[in-house]
Amino acid sequence: MATITMDPYYKAPKVAGFADVPGEEKERLIAEVVADPRFHDYLYGCYECGICVAACPSARFYDFSPRLIAQAAARRDVELMFQQMQEDIWECSQCFSCLRCPRGNNPGGIITVMREVAVNNGLASAREALEGYSRIIYKIMSTGTQVSPDMLQPDAFPDWGPEVADVSESLALWRRALPPETHHTTTTGWAVADRTLIELYLIWLETGALDMISQVDEGLHMILEEVMEERLEEEGIER
Amino acid sequence: MSNQSVVVIGGGPAGLREATTVAELGQQVTLIEKRSYLGGMPIAENYSNLTPYFMQADEAMGAIISHLQSLDGVTIMTDTTVTACTGEAGNFSLAVQGKDGPASVEAGAIVLATGFQHFDPGRETQLYGYYEFPDVIALQDLEAMMKEGNIVRPSNGEPPKRVCFVQCVGSRDRQIGNEYCSKVCCGIASKEAIEIREALPDTEVFIFYIDMRMYGYWESQIYWPAQEKHHVQYVKGIITEVLPKNGQLLVRGEDTTMGRPMEVMMDMVVLSVGMEPSVGTREMSALLGVKQNKYGFVEAVNAPLDTVTTSQAGIFAAGAALGPADLEDCTSSGGLAAAKAIGTIRRSMAVAG
Repeated sequence: MATITMDPYYKAPKVAGFADVPGEEKERLIAEVVADPRFHDYLYGCYECGICVAACPSARFYDFSPRLIAQAAARRDVELMFQQMQEDIWECSQCFSCLRCPRGNNPGGIITVMREVAVNNGLASAREALEGYSRIIYKIMSTGTQVSPDMLQPDAFPDWGPEVADVSESLALWRRALPPETHHTTTTGWAVADRTLIELYLIWLETGALDMISQVDEGLHMILEEVMEERLEEEGIER
Repeated sequence: MSNQSVVVIGGGPAGLREATTVAELGQQVTLIEKRSYLGGMPIAENYSNLTPYFMQADEAMGAIISHLQSLDGVTIMTDTTVTACTGEAGNFSLAVQGKDGPASVEAGAIVLATGFQHFDPGRETQLYGYYEFPDVIALQDLEAMMKEGNIVRPSNGEPPKRVCFVQCVGSRDRQIGNEYCSKVCCGIASKEAIEIREALPDTEVFIFYIDMRMYGYWESQIYWPAQEKHHVQYVKGIITEVLPKNGQLLVRGEDTTMGRPMEVMMDMVVLSVGMEPSVGTREMSALLGVKQNKYGFVEAVNAPLDTVTTSQAGIFAAGAALGPADLEDCTSSGGLAAAKAIGTIRRSMAVAG
């Protein structure tokens, strides 16, 4: 595989506030990205035409370019890919507008793979990027739903105006006004059947999705693992 | 009385296809070739495999040559040049100088298929060191190496670990005067890049380009496979100069899409030289009095729907004498020139009664 990383024209990676790591470590991380079974289908060759940038909402607001993601990956530019893993990949909203690519590339998919490698290897950037999401990860993985109504507290969302306070005061009542019965909940986004939750716990445990959490938030991982194993034990499920 | 024979000047792909077509249509044809052999540039410049089908050049040219030789009514004159031309459409008389001295050839129509030559990369404003550094070579030099099955750095005979192609050498350049695109170099460079990667799998190959011009099917025949299967690295940005450094070559340019200047070390630099009218095209155009364009190629006066008619009645042109052309362009215009030449002969016969 051709690579042009060792050239003098490659500037020293200016990694956003994170300590640099040895070259072999970068090689190892990028090799993990390239070895991912999805990588082959996510990257053919890049025209460097910029259609992905034109389609990308993040590119309008951040110093972010899906083209540079595809280009760096096509060139196996280890320094640049590592730099992107520390910074750029967290600026993608994973909307996959970049699938417009005429060559059939999937820069967003490459980012998915790079993010997983960053999380699995506990990269500082991954930890920082996910720091604000502990509550949400906890909610999703423990209840099987997303943000719950009771998380919307009036003091946390001043920009929503005075209505938030009114709604919060009689949250259960407002929720019961919603037609689907499954939405008559306040501590979860919607009602989740026991069987569904058990299945989700098993999926997260068996696929290693829960283990990914341990690299970025050890405490959260312990709590979730306990919640899940306790529940499975109650159900008499042995793993 | 008018003459029923077509004279073709030039025995390359266009001339061979032209002469073959005339003979297949049952008309007399005389093929005049300056060199001692037929086949034109693919043979003279030792092309290894033809673009884009990767057919062996010797084999492909050999097949059309032997087909021509097998047809009736064909006269082939090698080692022969045209020294004068008199007469008019339907009745030309050519003075030729051959191996056995001067002779005269009569023709009802003439087809000019005198082709191109490679741009000389050592010329004028070129800072690539073609004549200074042995490891700076041109497309055709690499073809010759590949034909021998031996891709090595000329300086030390070792296989190169890093090779780059520099596109548009002698093309699209106002300073040089060749403002046109030579059409074929993107495809040929990509074809050669694939062949290097196949022969030397550990060798990295780069192509520095202004924009890749991979017409029609070349896209999926050469470009995509080069990138996707053979991992040839295409970098948009043209090299300004090549300098020797520590036994290698330092190439300087800009990695434009990455937005940074670059200085990269290479073991071998291949210059993708463009096409210029050959000496034969210039000389024969002048001798036959056909109009040339500002670059010296023969001007097709009824383009675009007639690509072979020149400013002189009864004289047609085919192939790269008309301007940069790939093999398919050459053989296509060769076929049309054959039809137009025969048309001229039949019309003058009808008039002559």
